[in-house]
Amino acid sequence: MTGIDLQRSFIDLFSGLGIDPEVARVMWMPLPMLAVVTIATVGALAATWLERKISAAAQQRIGPEYAGPFGLAIPAADVVKLLIKQTVVPANADPLLFVLGPVIVFISVFLSFLVIPFGENLVISNVATGIFLVIAISSIAPIGLLMSGYSSNNKYSLLGGLRAAAQSISYEIPLALAALAVAMMSNGLSTVEIVEQQADLGILSWNVWRQPIGFIIFIIAALAECERIPFDLPEAEEELVAGYQTEYSGVNFMLFYGASYANLFLSALLVAILYLGGWELPFPIDKVAELLSIPETNPIWQVVAAFLGATVILLKAFAFIFLAILLRWTVPRVRIDQLLDLGWKFLLPIGLANLLLTAALKLAFPGAFGG
Amino acid sequence: MKLSQGVELVSLLVLTAMVVAAAMGVVLSPSIVYAAFLLGLVFLGIAGMYLLLNADFVAAAQVLIYVGAVNVLILFAIMLVNRRKVYREVKLGAVRQLVAIAVCVSLFALLLYTNLNTVWLLTPEVTALPSGIVTLGQHFFNEYLLPFELASVLLLVALIGAIILARREFVPDRGEENLELVERPKELVAVKEE
Amino acid sequence: MMKFLSKVGEYARDAVQAAKYIGQGMMVTFDHMRRRPITVRYPYEKLIPSERFRGRIHFEFDKCISCEVCVRVCPINLPVVDWEYNSEIKKKELKSYSIDFGVCIFCGNCVEYCPTNCLSMTEEYDLSTFDRHELNFDNVALGRLPTKVTEDPLVTPIRELAYLPKGVLEGHKADHRERRAGKLPVEIIEETQATTGN
Repeated sequence: MTGIDLQRSFIDLFSGLGIDPEVARVMWMPLPMLAVVTIATVGALAATWLERKISAAAQQRIGPEYAGPFGLAIPAADVVKLLIKQTVVPANADPLLFVLGPVIVFISVFLSFLVIPFGENLVISNVATGIFLVIAISSIAPIGLLMSGYSSNNKYSLLGGLRAAAQSISYEIPLALAALAVAMMSNGLSTVEIVEQQADLGILSWNVWRQPIGFIIFIIAALAECERIPFDLPEAEEELVAGYQTEYSGVNFMLFYGASYANLFLSALLVAILYLGGWELPFPIDKVAELLSIPETNPIWQVVAAFLGATVILLKAFAFIFLAILLRWTVPRVRIDQLLDLGWKFLLPIGLANLLLTAALKLAFPGAFGG
Repeated sequence: MKLSQGVELVSLLVLTAMVVAAAMGVVLSPSIVYAAFLLGLVFLGIAGMYLLLNADFVAAAQVLIYVGAVNVLILFAIMLVNRRKVYREVKLGAVRQLVAIAVCVSLFALLLYTNLNTVWLLTPEVTALPSGIVTLGQHFFNEYLLPFELASVLLLVALIGAIILARREFVPDRGEENLELVERPKELVAVKEE
Repeated sequence: MMKFLSKVGEYARDAVQAAKYIGQGMMVTFDHMRRRPITVRYPYEKLIPSERFRGRIHFEFDKCISCEVCVRVCPINLPVVDWEYNSEIKKKELKSYSIDFGVCIFCGNCVEYCPTNCLSMTEEYDLSTFDRHELNFDNVALGRLPTKVTEDPLVTPIRELAYLPKGVLEGHKADHRERRAGKLPVEIIEETQATTGN
């Protein structure tokens, strides 16, 4: 194991102070969870700020300007505003399901950050099911959407919830197929393994060159999973007011809003991990260390490398978010039949073909395709 | 390793209580929508149990397939077909109850029999494998290849059946009713090349 | 088989074409991002209203002869003219005059028909209040003059497109005192008078 290992350092430190290593382990446990929840929240808030600023730029406006430098305090102001707003539960709604729906959506998104690595050891748990776990957990979200759609006692909400669920279960399949092709090449589902398999040659060994079709499938399916334009049918303003979130206000609405942007951030991180080499820099950093004759165990070098890696993965993720926002102001919304056609008749067969092709290439060129 | 065992025990108890309570809710809840949501909770609890048994892949698959697909489809069916019918008691009440009791008792007896005749005490072997995925794959493609393939054929049959049901052309006409969706044939738009 | 293959080929070509068009669209959106914003940061910057801007109505109490022409030409008979006949001087005496700007449509008919020119339109347009009854202006409120955008020290005045100097296409880049492109109305009148010779 090279690279920074904060857990071991932390446990060593507390063992040195005369605390049982087991207890030190327990004391360590909440820290990365807190850190990752913070990162997810801040990432989602940054995505809302970027959405406003980039949308404004694309429409030749200025966007938020006076709240903090460049309007950076706008997301915080949003959160405060939504927290102090009244939470309305409509008459004849089912109060229990009405409150539970957004909570389920929110939890299912934030739970997926469990396996997102920001560095070789900067991950809460490097479980072997990795990417499969993300797909599995994100499949819980439609239940929350259906719940809120049903309990709102509003036909627009119900239709929005049904559309959201239909869309997310149809696009999960191409998404999983694209991820499966990557998993096939890296001989494992773990997110850390997938990144490490792309590490050898810097930018040249990123999966995007070996999986161009899978990359496109994944991007389209991820946009559909995030319910972003052109696939924002569940919230289509002109038809459904705001879809399943029509009746929501205050904190409950904030959960939906936060979950949708956290989901975008999650998808962006997944794109970065699966196809853009995760925390790897465009050039192999280990070789640079060798060239400068810095030993791998040098603590300063380790901290610098970990910091660079985390910055790079965030940059890649925000590049995807930028693309999604640009796409939002470029393409019109698809119809529901076009959406399902694209999912089942285009992405699914192509995803299957891509999987077959990957398998064939893996057998033919085991060196280049992770034999 | 005392702490982790304690955590395991508490999680097991919580999960068991959750699964039993939710399952009772599925059966006893008068609202069908609540029953469906509680079913999702049961599936999640079972996934948690798999996780306690170190079967992380099976747990994830349980969540993906049962919660993410089966339960969502059940909810879909409930919400799309929202016809309220007055509940009618089936006649022959006594016979019905007797049959139900007989079925339940025999099922319980079967489970009890299995329970008593199985050796539950296993000395767990800590395997060095990173995960159960590799073992699972090897088992699927060696010993259990036939059931695996049969299951996939079964799914294929279901898939084709669903497609045939969904395609209107294969449904015989019902009298004068024309059920076919009138659709304009897709016209090819000539696009000028630059 | 060939039919199937050609169908697949056609589908693939369609997909590629769609991707190309989306790419072109993205380039257009991206190009817009480097253009300067065209918006005006309103409370701090304001556009200078044009000459014939129909804003809040100004009323001069002393000029009014209580003829009620403004009421008659108003589409909804909005102005309230309260007068009393003074038999000593044999004239109507105006007691109060009011217009409710929550109802007014700013058509300017009253201004057009007023025989003594006691009504005029100002360039004031930000009439927001907390209570709609506050929009019912009486003769005192109607007699107030709005602060000019160009004279307000808190506001940066910005000219509209038609009033910009020659060669400038953006309000932020020009000072509002610079001469605008083209001839001013006064000059046009002078020229026509010079050529016709009267």
